[in-house]
Amino acid sequence: MAKRVPWDRETRWRRLDTLLAAVIVLGVLAYMYELMVGSRGLDPVYIAANYGLYVTAVTVNLYMTTVAYAVGMTAGFFLGWLRTIRSVPIKKVVHDFRAFADTSSRSKFVLSGALGLTVAWAGLKYLVRRLGDAYVEIIRGTPLFVQILFAWSILVVNFPGLFTNPTSVAFSAGLLALTANTAGYQAEIFRAGLQTVHSGQVEAARALGFSRLGAMRHIVLPQALRLIVPPLTNEYIGLFKASTLVFILGVQTEITFVANRNAFAGHIFEIFAIVTAIFLLITVVLAKVIQALESRFRIPGLGIQQTRAERPRARPLRLPEAPTP
Amino acid sequence: MIRVEGIHKYFGTLHVLRGISLNVAKGEAVVVIGPSGSGKSTLLRCINLLVEPDEGRVFIEDTQVNRPEVRREWVREQVGMVFQSFNLFTHLTAMQNVMLGLTQVKGIPKDEAAAKARQLLARVGLAVKENSYPAELSGGQQQRVAIARALAMDPKAMLFDEPTSALDPEYIREVLDVMTALAREGMTMIVVTHEMGFASNVASRILFVDAGVVIEEGTPEEVFHHPKQERTRSFVGKILR
Repeated sequence: MAKRVPWDRETRWRRLDTLLAAVIVLGVLAYMYELMVGSRGLDPVYIAANYGLYVTAVTVNLYMTTVAYAVGMTAGFFLGWLRTIRSVPIKKVVHDFRAFADTSSRSKFVLSGALGLTVAWAGLKYLVRRLGDAYVEIIRGTPLFVQILFAWSILVVNFPGLFTNPTSVAFSAGLLALTANTAGYQAEIFRAGLQTVHSGQVEAARALGFSRLGAMRHIVLPQALRLIVPPLTNEYIGLFKASTLVFILGVQTEITFVANRNAFAGHIFEIFAIVTAIFLLITVVLAKVIQALESRFRIPGLGIQQTRAERPRARPLRLPEAPTP
Repeated sequence: MIRVEGIHKYFGTLHVLRGISLNVAKGEAVVVIGPSGSGKSTLLRCINLLVEPDEGRVFIEDTQVNRPEVRREWVREQVGMVFQSFNLFTHLTAMQNVMLGLTQVKGIPKDEAAAKARQLLARVGLAVKENSYPAELSGGQQQRVAIARALAMDPKAMLFDEPTSALDPEYIREVLDVMTALAREGMTMIVVTHEMGFASNVASRILFVDAGVVIEEGTPEEVFHHPKQERTRSFVGKILR
């Protein structure tokens, strides 16, 4: 157990920060309440009787969001990586091939085949990259609402036999659209992260004998991930809230209930209050957890220095240095 | 040990190396000097193939390495490199920096790698800094960690690319001391530097490179004090005073 550090000035300010933030949030909420509900008041009996329904509905969103986010992250990483590489080294391909042909004793037939394959491979890589560009632009440029309907249409029109009931079609389509959407956005987040890591880091890794993939895994990605945690968190929260849109397909989410005016007439504000509270709770807790992780894994000396108080750690005794050999 | 035969390198239309040849015997320390932009760094990078030469051949222990079928990763394991800007991995401690190549490239078990890393950090005089992150170290300390990191891979030769040019004057000494000790122990080294004291004491040969060609080659005494070429004379005159 870490020894409890007595509050220093920094820590006190930090506590005050948190308090102030809480006061502001609560103040804004109070104002929203006053503006929208006002003297009409909320029906506590309705809330007490029905909040469980909405909690259940939000778990559907949470589940969809998390699955879509995780799959989208994997796809987004590779897509983002792909997009960091802009040029096709045709010159290098030809040069390598010429060097190979010079030293090789293989027949003309084999060599021409090898050249064909090499050029085809370079061309394929080029094509995949341009497709990646197009994908990101399409995802960013069109509304999620349309994407959801599009995903649904694809499943219904192209795979009519795959699903046994409308609910599973709706759920799958929602998941597909959310995944495709977040992959596009996360690709850009990853691209930014990967491009921010200094090229000297890669060079040093390569000079030690790391492969391209090894350098990515052990040096670039760990650094990039730390840089992109805030936008990635943002993306998760955004996706979570956007996931409410899948109600249009009939997936049972909280908004479905809101939209179903006949069943819930007269309690619209209660429903909004419940949903708002659940979303706020989840996102605030999530943000706090991520914030803690962020300071735990932050790279010392990078960016604006945070206070030491946040990350106490055992430091070796500062002995006078041994003379160099 | 290291042999370079007539290498040319183009960056676009820029002809950076114009047929450089170089032969470094085992245990030799060769210092490369020359004005900035003369291709010194590119020459070093061509040896461990961080930059692929467009023409010419590079040999390490009589194996031509710039052939497509030779794994580049293998080549770089044979030759350690130290950079002007250190390039320590910023998210890892000094110790982890030294260990990473051992565990991930060479596949050595963690405890063994840790023991070796400790030993190497002690060798460069940084045993007490093993848990410090690069940002918490001075430039000189960072560069010594970088040397330890390169040595950890048991390279057959070491390349130093202006290892002291990014350092404050007070830290240059400690890095040069480590390098001198390394040379005395018989490490094969190619050093791009403008530290004339170091070059005179340690180098078995000096290579003066300008505009991508070797202008003059000889012992420190010959190149610094009795240069044959006019260009060498004017360059040496500017840096020796």
